[in-house]
Amino acid sequence: MAESGAPEPIARLIQEFSKLPGIGPKSAQRLAYHVLRASEDDARALARALTDVKERVVLCGSCFNLTERDPCALCEDGERDPSLLCVVEQPLDVLVVERTGGYRGRYHVLHGALNPIDGVGPEQLRIRELVERVEGGAIAEVIMATNPSLEGEATSMYVQRLLQPAGVRVTRLARGLPSGADLEYMDDLTLSRALEGRQEL
Amino acid sequence: MAARPRVYRAEGVVLRRRTLGEADSILTVFSGSEGKFEAIAKGVRKARSRMRGHLEPLTRSRVLVARGRNLDVFTQAETVDAYRRLREDLDASAEALYCLELVDRFTEEHEPLPELYALLVGALELLEGGGGAAVTRHFELRLLALLGYEPHVESCVLCGGRLAEEETLLSAAAGGLVCRSCRAEAGGGRIVSVDAVKLLRFARRSTGAEFAAVRIPPGAAAELRAATAELVRYHLDRDPNARRFIEGVGALDGGG
Repeated sequence: MAESGAPEPIARLIQEFSKLPGIGPKSAQRLAYHVLRASEDDARALARALTDVKERVVLCGSCFNLTERDPCALCEDGERDPSLLCVVEQPLDVLVVERTGGYRGRYHVLHGALNPIDGVGPEQLRIRELVERVEGGAIAEVIMATNPSLEGEATSMYVQRLLQPAGVRVTRLARGLPSGADLEYMDDLTLSRALEGRQEL
Repeated sequence: MAARPRVYRAEGVVLRRRTLGEADSILTVFSGSEGKFEAIAKGVRKARSRMRGHLEPLTRSRVLVARGRNLDVFTQAETVDAYRRLREDLDASAEALYCLELVDRFTEEHEPLPELYALLVGALELLEGGGGAAVTRHFELRLLALLGYEPHVESCVLCGGRLAEEETLLSAAAGGLVCRSCRAEAGGGRIVSVDAVKLLRFARRSTGAEFAAVRIPPGAAAELRAATAELVRYHLDRDPNARRFIEGVGALDGGG
């Protein structure tokens, strides 16, 4: 690699940047030299942000979302409906659902989806914690908002079966056409489900 | 350098997906004409991707692939069968995923195995039709046979002698059934019942549909499952991951 001639601290920074997703060796070099040219304050702020994110962010003990306080703000919010529980794969998914502004219940973050072939089983996800939460009472409906992928669907079906004895209502997000999509390129599965879920105009 | 076509067509089943970078995925496809191959699906994780739904694992698709310097790239994809009923059934999905994993683990890239492809597509269709675990048993045994690991079940694998109709030793190490007098030399194995022996033989000459139509008593089904698992483990040197999932899903049934 080209950075072999760079002083050791720069080479190390390039090395660290190139571990980031989507960052190749060239981008890593550019980032490293950018940091080198940046002001002392900017560089310290970046360093602090990096360490803070590891030191100050914890998982909420109830919903397992990322938070600075446990329980998190969403779980503490008394305005939210405690009988509705939206189950998502990743913390980022909470932000996405929140952005719609249309959901006023609580969340549960699984931290992944079942992937039987890659050996990701229920014990690697926060599924046991979900069952405990549901068995705790209070929840009337569990909304499975996992990805509409093979793994996400398998996860939803698994959770549904697991929650059956609890007698709670388990729903999942509707599947249909994404806005701006082209009917011509739609896959059969999506299209047939969209057809079933059609609505009165 | 030999002039290889820059693009190729294939029809195959998507075995697995790995994410790559921001929006790309690397997919492993098992096809009849090209065997197993990997290619990049660019932008497939974006909402507006035209190929996204057509390149989900456990989908049978027709694809157009451009050869790249390192990895090939999908340029078009169209679903042949998305196995919807299969996908919407947890038990059937678990069986199907196990079959996909077996194909992935037992095959090398770019080694065309049209018969194995036909076997896989047949098994997925049967699972789609509600065929259940018997489909997987037939698939396992036929897969082993097609790849040259078929257990010898018609006579004693060691001495060639006739097998009495009784409980018999099935030895993965010896490569099949072993008669009573050869047992000591077989190097371990498991004792299987007369029913299980009959099923092992029937799997050799039946289609998946015929095999799945047989009413197998629960005891013999469990025996056969353990027997094929041992054969698979012996040849792969490990248990496929999806086995645990099948067992986990099955355990939920018992509990619920």
